[in-house]
Amino acid sequence: MTSLFSNTTSRRRFLQVGGAALAAGTLPAWRAGAADPVTFQLSWLHSVQFGGSYIAAERGYWQEEGIDVSLAPGGPNAPVEPPVVTGTALMGISAADYTAAAVENGAPFKILAVAMQRNPFAISSLPDNPVNTPADLEGKSIGMATANTPVLKALCDMNGVDMNAIEVVPTQYDGAPLLSGQVDCLLSWSTDLPVAMVMQGAEPAVMLLADHGYSVHSQTYIATEDAIANRRADLVALLKGEVRGWNDYLADTDAAAELTVARYPDAGLDLATQKLQAERQVPLMFSDLTEESGFGWFTDETVAANVETLGLLGRNVTPDLWDRSILEEVHGA
Amino acid sequence: MIALRAGLVLAGFLLVWEGAAAALDGRFLLAGPRDILAYGQTHAALLGRALAETSRAAALGYLWGNLAALALAAIALLMPMSERLVRTLALVVFCLPLVATGPILRVLYGPGAGPQITLSALSVFYTTLIPLLAGLRATPRVWLDLVASYGRGRWSALTNVRAMAATPYLVAGLQIAAPAAFLGAMIGEFTGAERGMGVLTLRAMRSIDVDATWTLATLAAAVSMLAYAAAGQLGRLLWPGAPPVLLVAPAAPRSAPLWQRALQPLAMAGITLALWHGVMAAFDLNRFFAKRPADVWQFLTTREDARDTLLSALAETASTVGPGYLAGLAAGAGLAGLCVLLPRAAAVVLPVAVTLRAVPIVTTAPLIVLAAGRGAGGLVAIVAVMIFFPTLIACLHGLQRVPAAIVGVFDSYAAGRWRMLLDARIPSALPAFFASARMAVPAAVLAVTVAEWLATGTGTGNLMALAASTSDYNMLWSAVAALTLLAVAGHALVAWAEVAVFARYAPEQLVR
Repeated sequence: MTSLFSNTTSRRRFLQVGGAALAAGTLPAWRAGAADPVTFQLSWLHSVQFGGSYIAAERGYWQEEGIDVSLAPGGPNAPVEPPVVTGTALMGISAADYTAAAVENGAPFKILAVAMQRNPFAISSLPDNPVNTPADLEGKSIGMATANTPVLKALCDMNGVDMNAIEVVPTQYDGAPLLSGQVDCLLSWSTDLPVAMVMQGAEPAVMLLADHGYSVHSQTYIATEDAIANRRADLVALLKGEVRGWNDYLADTDAAAELTVARYPDAGLDLATQKLQAERQVPLMFSDLTEESGFGWFTDETVAANVETLGLLGRNVTPDLWDRSILEEVHGA
Repeated sequence: MIALRAGLVLAGFLLVWEGAAAALDGRFLLAGPRDILAYGQTHAALLGRALAETSRAAALGYLWGNLAALALAAIALLMPMSERLVRTLALVVFCLPLVATGPILRVLYGPGAGPQITLSALSVFYTTLIPLLAGLRATPRVWLDLVASYGRGRWSALTNVRAMAATPYLVAGLQIAAPAAFLGAMIGEFTGAERGMGVLTLRAMRSIDVDATWTLATLAAAVSMLAYAAAGQLGRLLWPGAPPVLLVAPAAPRSAPLWQRALQPLAMAGITLALWHGVMAAFDLNRFFAKRPADVWQFLTTREDARDTLLSALAETASTVGPGYLAGLAAGAGLAGLCVLLPRAAAVVLPVAVTLRAVPIVTTAPLIVLAAGRGAGGLVAIVAVMIFFPTLIACLHGLQRVPAAIVGVFDSYAAGRWRMLLDARIPSALPAFFASARMAVPAAVLAVTVAEWLATGTGTGNLMALAASTSDYNMLWSAVAALTLLAVAGHALVAWAEVAVFARYAPEQLVR
């Protein structure tokens, strides 16, 4: 795959020459043939959650790097790990806890970069019966997917809350149980159900788990050891486009939302919802650390905090799970 | 007159619906007809594209699934030795849950509609195959003897006699398949599709957009009802007039020698395991997520903790399967009886039934949970809603298949509808009833796991969801194997009851 161009500089020059040919109207087929096809597996249905990636695609950042990226949507029965393990997808979007579990079960994954520096899990409640601190959870009922029970348990352990004093009600997909009074609070992503509730006219109180010691990298970029060894140039190109796309996203989240809705007219997206989600995503993805070192960055300290929280989730991992070499190449170039 | 009555029924139905939606206003559980109309008007283009996408996948799935059922039935009939094997393998394949098949299909097909079409086909083939097998047997022995006396073989018997006798059963299967194909295609979109009704449903539910959720549900129901009616129309074309059911003298069944009966389950298990391994190996599926029988065996024999987790989850599930299964079967058979006793009731029962079958359970479950709670009652109710439809349709067809001579006798004695139902219709519906009793077994097992995942967070359904989210594919496939065993055991129980009943009422159904 990388034999044609051993480094990205010559690749870029090649494409600049190609740009001239495009003006002459002779290029498209030839150019498509020249670009390496790469599948990038997203973790959920299309939405502004992946806004930076869409910007990279629409503004040709990946083309400039000489790769032809298809963005594969996820879904409730479309786990990210299988296509990445088989190589159907070169890279996938996961989270440190899922990646750790997959590695425990034999997948040779590494985390290459971290889109969500702060974990998006949050507990939403209604203002007249709010959950503002973990201690408020005692005596309340919480609606959540039971698969997330370890998350709640870790939060309780870290904050000295008695988990047995919380009633867990299994819910899936929707926020109706909270709005209709069946539960006192809901565990979900802060960019997901709380946004939907605001759009429905509610003003939920949102407690971010990351503010209470829950340190798990989310929306992480994963690839196999094999891909890191043998398709390194493609991975670097993919992440370069990501970094540029997400930097553009930060500059104008409304534009990112508009681009998302226009790019996926069949996804049933509502522009106002997407704009709010895009805005609420920013503090999770961008921090002093990313401003200083670049999008996706992580350090020994953030990794150590992750290893500790993952231990509470029952995942024994070492810092080896993270591999920053590709990201260093991306930001160093 | 009929149009007026139908109009009144429809108007009453819409009023009740609007009233229910108004009563639940502010709880984000149900939208009324007016809201749905308004949403449909403002989002017509989006809905149209999604409907076209999902309908295309459903139509192809319907076609392939039913063709597969026809082919399997023909194999079973031409080679009677293979019938048990065909039934068992069909049951095993039908039992595969989406959490296990979803990732495999998406990796095999890549982007596009492949997984949706396959899952749609998988959700219809079994409910066509089982009635068809019953239908192909619903042939008077004397007719087959007649074919034999002309020196003709099994092929002639199949095309000249059995195919004709089986047509009404096939029509029942095709009708049962209509909403199932659409639902299968929608659920198939959960495996990472770009567009379609399933994708929009997920989005609507996550956005707490009740109007959108119920507009999608209404559309799915409407399309399924059209397909259901079209399948019935096809049946009337293939089989005009009343079925000439004849009275037949019972023939004494012969049972296989004891050693054969003892060896059969072992051979069946061996073939199933070999196919499980063989198919995964043939497609070179990665062992990380496509576990072979040997992986499952090693996992369960070396990990005592995992074995205990699985067994206790399975025990929980097994205790719900029985009540859920019986509730679904009773609801289906009871509604069929109601439709026969009060033909006017059918005008309400059938549309509602098709709707419940065509709408994903994630949409309807919140309403059921509201009515029946999150405990065992809610669990049983969800399972019953998910599985009653095939029983209703198969029994409805069965109850209408009383031999004309018997109807004449009852009429001449001025016997009432009840007497007719109890003494004539029910006995002649028994083959159809047992076909549905068979179909409902794997459906109930699957439905319980879905209900556990949706409503209670217990049992094997919860365990599988947890295993899938943590890439614990050893546990996932162990659970799949355990659930399959549970379904096979339940199926054997039904088959045993069936033999006892048929020996008396419908001996032509027994394997000779």
